[in-house]
Parts: sequence; C-alpha cells; structure tokens
Amino acid sequence: MRLIAAIVLGKFIAYLSRKFRIGGGSAAPGLFALRIDPELIERLSKKIPKNIVITGTNGKTTTARMLAHFAKANGLKVIRNHTGSNLERGIASTLIQGVQLTHPGGVLNRHLGIWELDEAAFNNVVPKLNPDIVVFLNVFRDQLDRYGEVDSVVKKWSETLRELPKQTLVLVNGDDVNCAKLNAAFKGTVYQFGVKDYKVTGESIGYKKELEKLECEAINVKLKGLSGSSFSVVIHDKPTPVFLPLPGIYHIYDFLAAFYLGHELGFSTKGMIKSLKNFSPAFGRVEKLDFGYIFLIKNPAGATQVFETIAPNLKQHDRLLLALNDNIADGTDVSWIWDGDFEELSLRGAKRRGNLDSVFVSGTRAYDLAVRLKYAGFDPKSIVVQPELENALKQAKKGLKGNLFILPTYTAMLGLQKILAKSGLKKHYWEEE
Amino acid sequence: MKLTIGYLYGDLMNIYGDTGNIIALKKRCQWRGIKAAIKMFTIRNSLKQGQADLFFFGGGQDQQQELVAKDLGKSAKGKVIKSEIERGVPLLSICGGYQLLGKYYKPHEGPELPGIELFNAYTVASDKRMIGNIVIESMFGKLVGFENHSGKTYLPGDATPLGMVVKGFGNNGEDKTEGCIYKNAIGCYMHGSLLPKNPILTDWLIKKALEVKYGKPIELKPLDNSLENQAHHMAISRFG
Repeated sequence: MRLIAAIVLGKFIAYLSRKFRIGGGSAAPGLFALRIDPELIERLSKKIPKNIVITGTNGKTTTARMLAHFAKANGLKVIRNHTGSNLERGIASTLIQGVQLTHPGGVLNRHLGIWELDEAAFNNVVPKLNPDIVVFLNVFRDQLDRYGEVDSVVKKWSETLRELPKQTLVLVNGDDVNCAKLNAAFKGTVYQFGVKDYKVTGESIGYKKELEKLECEAINVKLKGLSGSSFSVVIHDKPTPVFLPLPGIYHIYDFLAAFYLGHELGFSTKGMIKSLKNFSPAFGRVEKLDFGYIFLIKNPAGATQVFETIAPNLKQHDRLLLALNDNIADGTDVSWIWDGDFEELSLRGAKRRGNLDSVFVSGTRAYDLAVRLKYAGFDPKSIVVQPELENALKQAKKGLKGNLFILPTYTAMLGLQKILAKSGLKKHYWEEE
Repeated sequence: MKLTIGYLYGDLMNIYGDTGNIIALKKRCQWRGIKAAIKMFTIRNSLKQGQADLFFFGGGQDQQQELVAKDLGKSAKGKVIKSEIERGVPLLSICGGYQLLGKYYKPHEGPELPGIELFNAYTVASDKRMIGNIVIESMFGKLVGFENHSGKTYLPGDATPLGMVVKGFGNNGEDKTEGCIYKNAIGCYMHGSLLPKNPILTDWLIKKALEVKYGKPIELKPLDNSLENQAHHMAISRFG
C-alpha cells in the first residue's frame, strides 16, 4: 500500500513539474516518494530482469546512453535514469515514471535497467538495486566538497563491493590505477577493459600499464579530429574495426565499457558497431550545434581531456565561451580550475593558428575563470568577462566567423540548454528522447 | 634576478588547486622579468640551506600526510625548513602542510603525528567538516579562499593568527582566528586557489624571497591586477 501511495504521489509531482515547466521533473518525484516508501527502489528494481550500474567520475552518462542505444537496436525495452540525475532520488523518480499503474500489480514492463550512479550515491544505492553487472569507469578528483578525496572514494567503493553477491559481474577500467585497486576487494569475477599503450592521464601520473590481462581492449587508435576516432576492439583475441563518432580518447573508454556490457548481454559485435553510426551523445556532454560545439567540463581530468581534444582543432576565427558556476551540482569549490590544464588550450592551439581574437568567460565565478585564463597564457585584453550567460552567448555569437566552442560546467550547461531552447536553437532536453 | 620556489612534497601534497599557487608565484615573477624555477623536494631527495628561496607546502590525503610527517622528521628536512624560516625565507603552507608545521596532529585513532613545531599550533581531528568560502581580515587586507578541513587547529600562547574570520570557519570554527604567521612563514586553510585571487599576498612572498636572497630592500614592478582584483571583490561580495 505504501508503495502504491508513493508511486501515485511521485507521478503527480512529475506531472506538475512538467505542466508548469519547472525542470524535467527528474529529482522531486523520487525525493517525496522515498519519504513515503523508503524501500521503493528495492521493490521496483526487483521487477526488472537485468540491472546494470555504471559509476565513475567521468563518462557515466555517455556510457549509459550508448548501452541503451545498443539495447534498443536489439529490441530490448530499457529503463534508465536520464539527464544526469544520478542520486538516489533520480533513480526513484525514473522507476516511478516507468510503472504502469493500470497494469495489475503496477508492473515495470522493461527488460533492462541501466543506472548511472555518482561516486557517493553508488554506495547507498547499489545494495538496493542489487545489480547483475557493475562498471567502474574511472576515478578522478572531483568536487572534494561532496565526494572527498580519491583514496576515500576508492575505499568506500571497496567496502560496497565486498558486500555484493559473488555472482555479480564487475567490470573495471584496467588503465586507471585507482580502479584497478578494486580487483582485490571483490570475491567474484572482475573483467578489465582498456586502451593499448594508453594510461589514464590527469591524475594517475607515472602509471605504466603492467602486463595485466584485459578482456576488452582497443588497439591501433587513430584520433580523427572532432569527428571521432578509429581503432580495433579486441574481445577474446578477435579484433574488429570501429569508427566511433565521438571525439577524444576519453570516449573510447566509454565505448569499451558499453560494448563489453552489450557483449555480456549477448548483443552481436557487428550489430553494435554498425549502430554507432546513428548514435548521438548525451545532451551537452559533447554536442554539435549549427554554430559550434558544447563540451561539458566539470573537473580537472575531464576538462583537460576536453582541452586536449579541441585544442588541435581550433582555427583562427573560432571562439571560446567558458562558463563556470559554483552551485552545489558544480561543486562550490572552484579551486579545480587550477588543476585543469588550461595551458594546453592556450599554448598548443596558439602555436598553430595564432591567438584567438577573443575568449568569453561567464557564470557565477566568471572572474575566477578570467584569472585562470590570464595565468594560462591568454592575453588579458582578449578576455571578455560577462557573468550573465545569455548575454555572454549573444556577444560570443555576434560577428562569429568560425565555430563557437562552449565549455560550461554542469549547471551552466543546464542554463545554456534553456537559453538555446528559448531562442529556438534546440529542443528542451526533456523533450529530446 | 632569479628565484627558486621549493615545492615541498609536491608529488604527495597537492590537493585541489595547490598547483594554482605555484602558477601564480611563477607567472608574477616572469611578468616582472624575474626568472622563476620550481624545484620539488620530496621523500627521495634531501634539502639543504639555500636550495630554495621560497617554500610552498600544500595539502594531502591522510595516507600521504603520514608518509610526509615521518619524512620531515627522519630526513632532517624539518630542521632545515625551520632554520631557513629563522633567516627570513618566506613560506606558504595550506591545510595538511600547515598542520604538519605545527606541534602535532591528533587523529581520531592512533598516535599523534608529530609536526616540526615551526608554528606554535596544534591540530585535533574533529567530526565536523568545515567546508565553504572563507573571507578573513589580515595584515594584507581581506583575503578570500575556500576551506575544506575537519582538523581543528588551535594557537596557544603567543602565536599570531594570519587573520580574523569575516565569513567561514578558520582554524577551528570557534575562536574566529584563521591561519598562523611566524616571521615570513604563513600557514592557513585557504584553498581557492589562494594566491591567484590575492595578488598582494603573492607579491609579498616574492618580495620577501628576493630581499633575503639579495640582502637588500626590493621594490617590485607594479602589474595590472584588474582581473585578479575583480575576482577578489566578486568573491567578497558573494560570500563576505
């Protein structure tokens, strides 16, 4: 009875939130429903035949979305938490929305649950979801104010892993030295994926890949600018060529995780690779617009990977718009910008193309960002500070001859989506799927 | 002119944004035509008098902090740092680095980690995480940063705090003090990063380093600080 009451309330809040356009209704329904039935997640997720949990600092949404794409191509009905709402309440909201109340018993008519959980929520929610497969993508310094230090994140993950049933399959990024430590914590099977000759940069400096066995590996990687990369994926000693339409080495890891999960679920290798052609990444993570690109930046490692990806592709008439907010979802501590390699962005690109004529900075901490750019080697005269995002976008687009590269933090990205939707440049994100 | 910035245990103690302080010191030297070299002193190498003109010591994770505490005593680096500070060499330490330069750090469990007793200060682990933006009033005017610590530091006796808290927790969240200053050595809890947004403090460290090295009063060439000052004011108006 409690469960039904919780579901009805949740559905009603979701309805209100959409009707009055106060966001996509991705957190509030779950938040209130969990107060009525705290065991809602256990009860509802049990009704889904297979559940997969994806965690890590970066790449969760892209990996989940890609796996869902593979699953749909294989005719499976998928339920997953969208729009980066990866806390407990986001999971609950999604489950509530998936319930068909008219069906006797309120059944979830889905084959597969794909759940992305952030580093902290993972430990609370995994025991409730009791997943069949758990994936660890990477762990970097991120929002110390929320998650704590890398060592303590890995320690808590290990504790959670110790309690999982032996038949759970655990998949880890074998190139990430901190993730690889998890092998020892789990009593069941651990499989590893990775990229040949690569190590995960940004944090685990000096890590050389030892002769460990990777169950799934990318070899012969060739980066193809902003259009993507080509490589071969090797699974059980059998290589298959892949063109991944997402730029940057970091996306190859997301692909490997999604691909191996698909393999475990019995999807055909060729089918998955073929379906990549019409895969579009998650909103705002890496997005092509008519006048440029959006790349989400949210922590030092992720930002540095984005800089490394776009720096070689910036041309003389291109412009940059960076937006730094310090809301809770962004991390209230903006120190992280000093650990991101903004020097790559200014120095490497400048050598090739000459200096960009202007760089726009925006967000609640626009001036912190301006100072960071100045100390990274940008000419202070070329830095335009406009804390208000809508105005910053307007200014950056005015007289634009090349591409505009927009690099927002999480809440700045949500703000940007609203601005773009309002001006008719794209749809509201909750209308995209 | 030339400065060597000694980055103490930079491989182990470099939590959020500490590198930003090194970048700020280096750039503000370079913009004035002062050559700046960064030299790391860590567990593998030794430290002798005169090898660095200015020290920076950042924060670290628990495990690393333990290793560093041991090395400071065992390798005699602690003694060298103390004698360098006595002759006026400037130092900035933040969070974990600050704690290790006090008398001791008392964790929740296990024995006390001894410090090198540069600052007349001691730190006790607490259950309260002190997180958020911090603004203090100091001899450098207002300073802004971001603190994130659960250790509570107390200054008994005659120790001088770096400043008094306007917004935030500071040393312990109880007595309104933040940080400690002894001769030209500063310890505090301010990340942020601290130096890029507080250029007066950055320049004071550089000036003191040059004066000790070259044995004469130094006037630094003024720089355009308009972006730095705007970031500083924006933080104060948002949080102060």
